[in-house]
Formats: sequence, structure tokens, C-alpha cells
Amino acid sequence: MTQVILFNLLNGLIVGAFYALMALGLSLILNLSGVINFAHGGFLALGAYLAYSLMPTIGFWGALLLAPILTAFLGLAVERLLIRRLYGRDPLYSLLLTFGLAFIFQDGLRYVWGAQSVPYQIPGWLASPLSMDYFFLTGYRVFMMIVVALAVAGLFLVLGYTRLGMRIRAGTLDLDTVSVLGVNVRVLRNLNFGLGIYLAGLAGVLAAGMLGLSPTIGDQLIMPSFVAIIVGGLGSLPGTLVGGLLIGVAAGMTTVFFPTATEAVIYVMMALVLIVKPSGLFGDEGRLR
Amino acid sequence: MGSHSKTSGMAKTSGMGRRTLLKAGAAVGAIQFASPFIISARGDEPIKIGVDNPLTGIYTALGKNENTGMELAASQINAKGGILGREIKLVVEDSTSDKTDVAVQKARKLIQSDNVNFLIGNVNSSHAIAIAQVAAELKTVHIVPGGHADAVTGSSCHWTTFRICNTGAMQGNAMAGPLVKALGKKIYIIAQDYAFGHALHDGLAKAAAKAGGTIVGEEFFPLGTTDYSAVLIKARAANPDILVDLAAGDDGINSIKQAVQFGLDKQLHIAGMQQELEVIEGLPLEARIGTWMFEWYWKQPNVPHVAEFVAAIRKVTNKVPTARTWFGYASVWSLALAANQAKTLDAVKVAHTLEGMKLPPEVALMPGAPFFRAEDHQLVPSVFVGHEQAKGIDDPEDLFVVDQVVNVADVMPTPAETGCKLDFPA
Repeated sequence: MTQVILFNLLNGLIVGAFYALMALGLSLILNLSGVINFAHGGFLALGAYLAYSLMPTIGFWGALLLAPILTAFLGLAVERLLIRRLYGRDPLYSLLLTFGLAFIFQDGLRYVWGAQSVPYQIPGWLASPLSMDYFFLTGYRVFMMIVVALAVAGLFLVLGYTRLGMRIRAGTLDLDTVSVLGVNVRVLRNLNFGLGIYLAGLAGVLAAGMLGLSPTIGDQLIMPSFVAIIVGGLGSLPGTLVGGLLIGVAAGMTTVFFPTATEAVIYVMMALVLIVKPSGLFGDEGRLR
Repeated sequence: MGSHSKTSGMAKTSGMGRRTLLKAGAAVGAIQFASPFIISARGDEPIKIGVDNPLTGIYTALGKNENTGMELAASQINAKGGILGREIKLVVEDSTSDKTDVAVQKARKLIQSDNVNFLIGNVNSSHAIAIAQVAAELKTVHIVPGGHADAVTGSSCHWTTFRICNTGAMQGNAMAGPLVKALGKKIYIIAQDYAFGHALHDGLAKAAAKAGGTIVGEEFFPLGTTDYSAVLIKARAANPDILVDLAAGDDGINSIKQAVQFGLDKQLHIAGMQQELEVIEGLPLEARIGTWMFEWYWKQPNVPHVAEFVAAIRKVTNKVPTARTWFGYASVWSLALAANQAKTLDAVKVAHTLEGMKLPPEVALMPGAPFFRAEDHQLVPSVFVGHEQAKGIDDPEDLFVVDQVVNVADVMPTPAETGCKLDFPA
């Protein structure tokens, strides 16, 4: 039993890291632009399908690099043509827009690639366990962890040490002042949206290697990502990271004792956090900074 | 100044708070339950068959394939004069994959607003049970093409409802012997935690015990689970001979794919009961493994009319028909045959005609003569036990090798065992 618990603890961290990757993209967009991007799961699915189509030509590694970038370009276009028009309005406008976009994405994917799942092939040496004892530690899961760690480190480096990152952080705190200081807020929001969508595309390419690839692949992943943001605290990217890891571990541990509650436990956890600390673990009074 | 005020407006977003986010989430949840825009069918002349099947969510592919089979049947029936000389028309609604209340609402809409003469649905067993209740209340003959929970033609049976696909008990009885005999006695079951998963689990558990097998563990997981590692960790800890995976749709793909990535196929046998071509085609090559059962398979070289059916479906979809396609096809044909034979659309008379009715070879498309058992309205067909193959030899879509055809009549639970008591009106 102890071994099963330890296995699930470790496995929960792996799954949580994946939730965190998706939640960080959502959080970036939400923090700077106040947009609750319900189409994030659609962008994730698109990234995965682009990788699936690119793979026969440029291989898995080429697809891993290129598909998230192509997804990010589409994100830039969507922000420029649609999302931008709703800034400054009630958040429900952008929520409804992105909710509708999610349906359009899903039907579009279904139209192009079909409703049925497609076989997404990862390199054979990744698709096997590293050890028979720790069989759940497959090459692919370890690889996913490394990519997630690199992506998160890269994101924090960009935010901490580049001009763009500093402007995004400043804009999250006070966009009006940043604008008055001469920063082109339109471009800033556009690039920030693209960065968030890049993370969604990357999450999609990674997820499809573990899950079946169908147009609904993003559906089951988006709600845990929102929960990760709430648990970690609105406005805090480190909080989002911790929130993702925590819900992954909570779901993994629940499977040991009460498997049918695996899905419900993350919402119970969110409710508990909201009762004890309404701003989330690292949030600032429940409002964006 | 103008520029400044424009920018300020754009920047005015920091009022977004946690409460707004939560409210927005709740609003989005509510939208999913709201009725979509509905286009009513026009005209009273055609015979209308309401189709209440999933077109969105995890069962989209299965629902659409069933509908494709229904469309082919409808066009063939119309070419032969329709029902009682009238053209038949399918009125299709999206039940969703996982919202039973939406499926029920659509069933009511089809019967009460669109005035359909017959109802077909659903892939999801819970939906099927719920809409069967609606069909009985509104006295409409209803066919369940692909919802497998035993209760549909068992404890929750109705005089109005007939079913094409097999029950969990039928599948369990057909599969338990071959599994225990060929792969081992210690069985660990993983299944989706709703009516379908429980039906298959119960059917196999009972039949395996009779065949000399032992269930060493079982795990039910929520519909739409993405990560199966925790479930598989527990399964492996129980050290079974066979891991029986009873998940359907995308859950089946995810769970098998992850089991193979964990190398479980090298330590124990991976098997299941009903397998579907839609699932195998979504699996990477290395995960197309194991012993399974097909309820219908497209490659039956010695069975009449199968080749024509395959060609007709391929012409429309560029793909071979799956068991789901046949479920839909047989559903519409069964209704047409019964109504034409009864020479009426009267629900009671059509239902009585369906009881005991044998499907003709051009509809049966399998060995033997499938028929609707009168006592519970369950079709009694043959099933195909075999194993998956990574690549088709003669045809890329030939991904299953049939080892044995089982006539379900030989292993069928008795009417008394199903618990069905039909409630025909006086």
C-alpha cells in the first residue's frame, strides 16, 4: 500500500506539471488582458493536430518545435481580429466570444481531421517504461516533465529578464501607467496572448502523446487548469504553478482511496481554498495585480 | 488626448476578480444545458424517425457512424417505396455525449414538437435508459442502437423499447470462457463509472466465476478520465493474469495507450469485451493488441450482402462500416420492416410485430438469423471474438482477426434472469 501511495504521489506531480503548463498560458492572458480564454482547449487541440499532420514530413521533434509556434501565430491573429475589440468591456463579452470560439475550433477540427480519434505516434524509445519497478515512469512522461520544466523556466526568464517580460509584469500591475509611459499596449497584449497560446499549443503536442487525439482532447484538460489558477491565486504565476501541482497530487492520491472521486476532489479542494483563503494560496485579495 | 482615452478604455480590465471568474464559469456551465436553436421539420407527409444520438463530446465518432448507417438504410428503404408508401425522413438531434438531461429534452422535443413516428437512440447507456422512459410515456416505438447497459432490456425495459447491440451479460457470457481458457484465471477489471461500465463489469464478473475465473480487483473511473496511471498502478499491484479494459470511446483509447506505454502488455494479458474499430484506428500501432470481441465486423467474406453494405458505406465515407454503422442501419431497417409488415404505424401493433421478428440476411449481415426476443425486446445476434492486429494485410482497415463466431443464443441469459417485465398498455 505504501508503494502504491508513493507511486501515486510521484505520478500526481507529473500530471500536475502538465496542468500547470496549460494553466500558465491561461493565467498569462487572464492577468494582463482580463480575458477568460475558454478557447484555450481548442488551441491545445489545434497544436496537437498540427503536430500530427506535420510529423510524417518533419518528424516528432520537428513537429514539437513547429506546431506550438504555428498555433501561437493563429493566437496572434485571433487576438488581433476578435479579442482586441472586447477589451474594456464586461469580461462576460470576451468569455462568450472565447466560449463560442471553442465550439468553432472543435467543429473545425472535426471537419478537417474527422470526428474519430487519430493515431498519434511518438518515438518508440519514449513509449516504454524506464524501469519495470517504476513502470509508470515512462520515457515519455519523463520527457514531458523535462519539456514542462524547460518551458516554465523559459517563461519565468522571459518575464524576469527581458524587456517584453518586464512590460507584461508591469502591465499586469497597472496597464494605464504602462501605456502613459509610451509602451504600445496593443502590441504588448497581442504578444502576451501569443505567448499564452504558444504554451497551449505545446501542451497539446505533449498531451496527444499520452492521450488519444480527438477534437475533444482539450475539454477534459481545461477545467483543471482553471481550478489551478483559482487554487494558486488569481494574478500569481508561481501560484498557478503550485496550484497545478497540488491538484495533480490531490487527484492522484484520491485514486488510491476513493477512485470515483478523482475528478470531484479538485473542485472540493478549490472550495476549501476559497473558504480558508478566498484570494487563493498566492493571490492578492482575489483580484488581479 | 483621444489616443489616451482610447488606451485607457482598453486597459480597463483590472476589475476582473475571482468572483467574476467563478460567476463566468457557472454561466458557461449553465449555457451547456440550455436548449439550442431548433429547426423544425417541415411537412407532414414523410414518416419521421427521430434520432437522438451524440454528435458532440467523447462519443461523437460513435454517434456519427450510427447515424451514417441510418442514412444509408433510409435511402435504401425510400428507394424501395418507403414505409406504407410514404418517404421516410430522419430528424436528427445532438443528445451530447454526457448530459442525460439534454438527451431527454431532445427526445421530448422530437416526439412532441417534431411529431416523429419512431425514436432511435442512444450510444450512451444512461441516455438510452432515460429516453426509453420518455418513449414509453409518449407511446412511441424506440430502438436503442448502441447503449449496452443490461437495464435497457432488463429491469428498466418497456414495451416500446427494442435494442440492437448486446447487453453486458450477453458479452460477458460470450467472452468469459475464451478469456479464462486462453489467458488465465486471475482477472482485474477497469471500467467507466456509469451504467455501461457497470453493465459490462457485472456481466463479465458473473460469467467469469462460472467459467472458473476470479476477479482479483476492479476499478471504476469517471467518464472522460485522461490520466490512467493511478488506476493502472493499482491494477498491476494486484498481479492479475489479465487486465480487462471495459472503457469505450476516447476513454478506451487513452487507457489502452497508457497501459501499453507502461509496458503492462509485456507483464500480463490485455483484453476486453466489446472493442470498436473507431477505437483501434485511434491507437498507435504498438497499442493495437489484445483479445476482444466485435459485435459486428466488416470483413465476413462468406456472408451474403456484407460486401455490398461495405461498398455502399465506403462510397459515402471512404471508410469501412463499423459495428456502430451496422447498429444504425439495422435500427432503421427493423422499424421499416415491422411497420410495413404490420401495415400500420400504431405503436402497439408495430411493437408486437417486432417481437420475434428475424432480420433478413440483407439486414442481418452476419452468420445466423438475429431476432428480437419477444420477452425482453433484445436482439439475439452472433458476435465475433478475436484479436487486434497493428496493420491490415489486404486492407489498411482490417485491424481485427476473427478467431471465433459465437452465436449469442447459446449463451444468452434467460428472460427471467434479465428481470424484464414488459408493460404493454391494456
